[in-house]
Amino acid sequence: MRQAGTYSGLLSKMSGRTGTHSLPLARIKKIMKKSGDDVKMISGEAPIVFSKACELFIEELTKRSWTMTMQGKRRTLLKDDVASAVIATDIFDFLLTLVSESGNNINADAGQVNPR
Amino acid sequence: MTDSRTYDATQWGRPKFCPECKAQGTRKNKSNQQMETEKVVPEAEELPKTIVRRVVKDKLHNCSPDTDISVHKDALLAFCESARIFIHYLSATANDICKESKRQTINAEDVLKAIEEIDFTEFVDPLRDSLDEFRQKNAGKRAGTSKSKEEKKKQKVEEVAKERPFVLDTELRL
Repeated sequence: MRQAGTYSGLLSKMSGRTGTHSLPLARIKKIMKKSGDDVKMISGEAPIVFSKACELFIEELTKRSWTMTMQGKRRTLLKDDVASAVIATDIFDFLLTLVSESGNNINADAGQVNPR
Repeated sequence: MTDSRTYDATQWGRPKFCPECKAQGTRKNKSNQQMETEKVVPEAEELPKTIVRRVVKDKLHNCSPDTDISVHKDALLAFCESARIFIHYLSATANDICKESKRQTINAEDVLKAIEEIDFTEFVDPLRDSLDEFRQKNAGKRAGTSKSKEEKKKQKVEEVAKERPFVLDTELRL
């Protein structure tokens, strides 16, 4: 008996889906090409590394945001937790512009601690 | 590090117009009123929310297996945006490294060097492992396809030999 698709699908997939969380390579390539006009050629392996790097990045950001959630003794991870994690972590400095644009609210809520 | 890269930085707090929301009907009418004045952002440039959500949820489960942490939708949006900006940032850095080597094509090594340059050094080892795994799988697949190609060639030669034996004989004589 021949069952099409059960295993043949797994073997034939070249998309680099190494696990259940793999980000789509085509979309990664599109975003990469938008990062600069002079980004022309991307090797076949580069999006694979990007996909995994992105996953690791999201995990790191999640872990640090979760720490903020725990500090606030909450069970819901909020956008403010992500913003706080970005501010508190040096390697996330490239995200500071996003935080500052949307997070004027955060600064206002946190209160301006003026030494008296 | 050069600042030649430009980001399509969008504000986390600003809701994006989502064609799906419009299709869903009246439930999100109120938010749609706000959304309709916003610029349409094509979904093709964003990372799929379901996958990002899965990564986040799995990590949260690892961090606190006993407690169920939920993720606010704005926070998920923030994760998606951050990841997108990360790809931009990493691409631009990898592109600079590639250009310094006077090449046109960004390869995996450029990306790994870029990862180190942007201080995500701890990512390098797991990324190398992942890349090696991919290369091994690819090599295995290529070996498989090249074998099947050779077999097909042999079959073709045999078929031709059966159908037109005289042709081959004359060729040999010449």
